[in-house]
Amino acid sequence: MFEAMIDPTTRPSGGTTSGARAPRHGTLNGLTVGLLANVKQNAEEFLGAVGDLLAAEHGTAGVVRRKKLSITDPVPASMLAELADACDVVVIGVGDCGSCSASAVADGLAFEAAGIPAAVICSDAFAVSADAMANVMGESGYTYVTTAHPVAPLNSGEVRERATTALPTIVGLLTAQANTTAAA
Amino acid sequence: MSGTESDAERLDYARQAIEHAYDKGWTDGLPVVPVTAGMVEEFLATTARARDEVIAAVPHLGRECTVEQAAVNAALAGCRPEFFPVVLAAWDALMRERTVTGGGWQSTSGPAPLIVVNGPIRAELGINSAGGVLGPGFRANATIARSVGLVVRNVFGIRPHELDQTTQGIPGRWTLCLGENEEESPWEPLSVELGLPAGADAVSALLLRTSEFVDNRHTQNAEEVLWDICDTVARTGAAIVPHSSAGLILGVEHAQQLADAGFTKAEVQRWLSEHAVRSHAELNRAGKGIEGSPSNVDERGMHMVPDPGQIPIVVAGARNAAMSMVVRPFGFGGWSREPQLVERAAAHAPAGAGSAR
Repeated sequence: MFEAMIDPTTRPSGGTTSGARAPRHGTLNGLTVGLLANVKQNAEEFLGAVGDLLAAEHGTAGVVRRKKLSITDPVPASMLAELADACDVVVIGVGDCGSCSASAVADGLAFEAAGIPAAVICSDAFAVSADAMANVMGESGYTYVTTAHPVAPLNSGEVRERATTALPTIVGLLTAQANTTAAA
Repeated sequence: MSGTESDAERLDYARQAIEHAYDKGWTDGLPVVPVTAGMVEEFLATTARARDEVIAAVPHLGRECTVEQAAVNAALAGCRPEFFPVVLAAWDALMRERTVTGGGWQSTSGPAPLIVVNGPIRAELGINSAGGVLGPGFRANATIARSVGLVVRNVFGIRPHELDQTTQGIPGRWTLCLGENEEESPWEPLSVELGLPAGADAVSALLLRTSEFVDNRHTQNAEEVLWDICDTVARTGAAIVPHSSAGLILGVEHAQQLADAGFTKAEVQRWLSEHAVRSHAELNRAGKGIEGSPSNVDERGMHMVPDPGQIPIVVAGARNAAMSMVVRPFGFGGWSREPQLVERAAAHAPAGAGSAR
């Protein structure tokens, strides 16, 4: 019944291909960490705290900080290439809005495709959007780190607390071979 | 079976078809028109554009919309085929907007496309520009705007609670298509202000966060009306410091009152740009104190809309009360100010109409 009704959601086939995951290092010791922040309030502070904790507790060698100015667009190709060249792993965030949570997931997948293990941080209010983006990319079930919403109004001590809580999951995502572990 | 019985059977079938569309998740909440291949061809016949031409996209999602997909969703929305060239022009205009290509459909702000139609095509298609212009009650206005929302939902796959992360949204999000009341406006139409020839059928579009009324039937002094409008323009709630935005859907009476006092449209824009300033004390009081020194901030405070050209003004509505709407363009990058011509297949252009091509 209703076979003659045109499906308005039909779109040309193709476009979504399941991307590869980068090979993991067994340990973060001695590795260089890329921190790709967006312009959401506290994103740089959050990633900075993660970078400090990774150095203190996991012996990472250094960080490369970059800031993505567009909330929505994918990480610029030059910035992706630069970070992929200079870093062994990257941490991306904070997905704290409708567009940027989806965009952060897309960036995580782009780094994986470029051979760099990535951990994406989103606030839990936008998990649905992040999951929907993973679906769009043909990556249903992609795992990222969630932190409680909101992130923007936190003070520096609270941001550091959040980073401390998220750290084990971040480390797990960056070192575990399969990116299928549960989110924090 | 009597004629009445068979008629009832067919109507039951129509109802089931509508329910089928609901079950498939194709609707925005209101019933849609079941679309057949033949209907799609009727829509495609109104334009010279190829059915597989991409007319809209969400680049970061890798999603595109072709002429044919737009036609399917225009039919679904309840458009008549002859509305379709306006739908295409609306997409042409929307795709010039950074907010549209930059993820606006997914935003927590839940912005609405404002689609403004100029030219004789308004009367030809029944696009309302007078009383009740912000709806409802007019098929062309309602369905042209709705077709945009159905493309976002069905073709781009951006749906509420999923990729659409709208916090509250805007009443009438997918219904804001209006004709400019050129007949009663004292000024040049929007499309002419923005560089198109007079008499051309054209569509301008941008995303809005909302509209807020200014009722001023109190004074014959034009500048007092501007001060009243200015209070809403400069509202702290609309500011995401150091950014804000404003445009006007001016009622006919306010527009004529301003014009009678000697204001051109450009002078109204300039006046508002100069006077819409909130003091540092007022911003601080609202928890929106400004750090650093953005270019639109000085000792007076924050200049809400420093660029007069970024205050779109459209004249619309009935000439029966002196009231207007302040609208809020979405995004900080400004609107393109690029209206698009309505282009129709030769067979569908009105006799003697050359300017529409």
